[in-house]
Amino acid sequence: MSVAKLDLRIRNDLGEITGVAETIERFLDEAGADGTVVFKVNLCLDELLTNVISYGFQDGGEHHIDLRLSVDGGVLKIELEDDARAFNPLDMPPPDLESGLEAREVGGLGIHFVRESMDRVAYRRAGDRNLLTMQRGIAEAAGDDDGGG
Amino acid sequence: MEINELSEGKATVLALAGRLDSNTCGELESRLLGTIDAGAGAVVVDFADLAYVSSAGLRVLLMAAKRLRATSGKLALCGLNDNIREVFSMSGFDKILTITGSRAEAVDAVG
Repeated sequence: MSVAKLDLRIRNDLGEITGVAETIERFLDEAGADGTVVFKVNLCLDELLTNVISYGFQDGGEHHIDLRLSVDGGVLKIELEDDARAFNPLDMPPPDLESGLEAREVGGLGIHFVRESMDRVAYRRAGDRNLLTMQRGIAEAAGDDDGGG
Repeated sequence: MEINELSEGKATVLALAGRLDSNTCGELESRLLGTIDAGAGAVVVDFADLAYVSSAGLRVLLMAAKRLRATSGKLALCGLNDNIREVFSMSGFDKILTITGSRAEAVDAVG
């Protein structure tokens, strides 16, 4: 069974995200992912890219973020690599999901969406680069019995 | 993203279309907070033609809800698709914001 792959190089400009989302949607549709999974993957990548682009670079210069997706045997693997300052999203405290309107803040929600939407998330700092890897099935239903490869 | 502003009954309705994300949330922030600061006390945000929302969009809705609460105004959201409902559920925003099915229900809720 063939492996579907998508490699993207993204400039550190928030304006890039809409085009990236459209490309990922096409790729995941063709790979057979459920619509809700496509939405969640795009949500996670939007949140992660927005964080890196907004807060990761302090020199005002152009940088590139490498995004690699592969689908094999019904499993989607994602790698996000950048040369932004060291940032482990898994170190973020959990968001406030309980307090009332007046006290509620939105900090940490993006990472929370990633934790909720992915089966596995791992972070590694390699030299001057951040490498975040994620994995989940392309079907929404839990207990998918696809034998895979 | 497109924002269409209209009046329905006593409510000011902002109907959104497209994507509400980090790239477009600034437009909604200035329109929505501008409307509230200009005196609107009954505000509906209609998501029926909105395909996508991220935490950047939720931040703007939270700011608007807090500002309206402080002035005894009301905010309601309507027309959320299933994926967007899931974003509100994961974030717990469905517990602190008024969310209705139809625009008419939302207009009633803020009236």
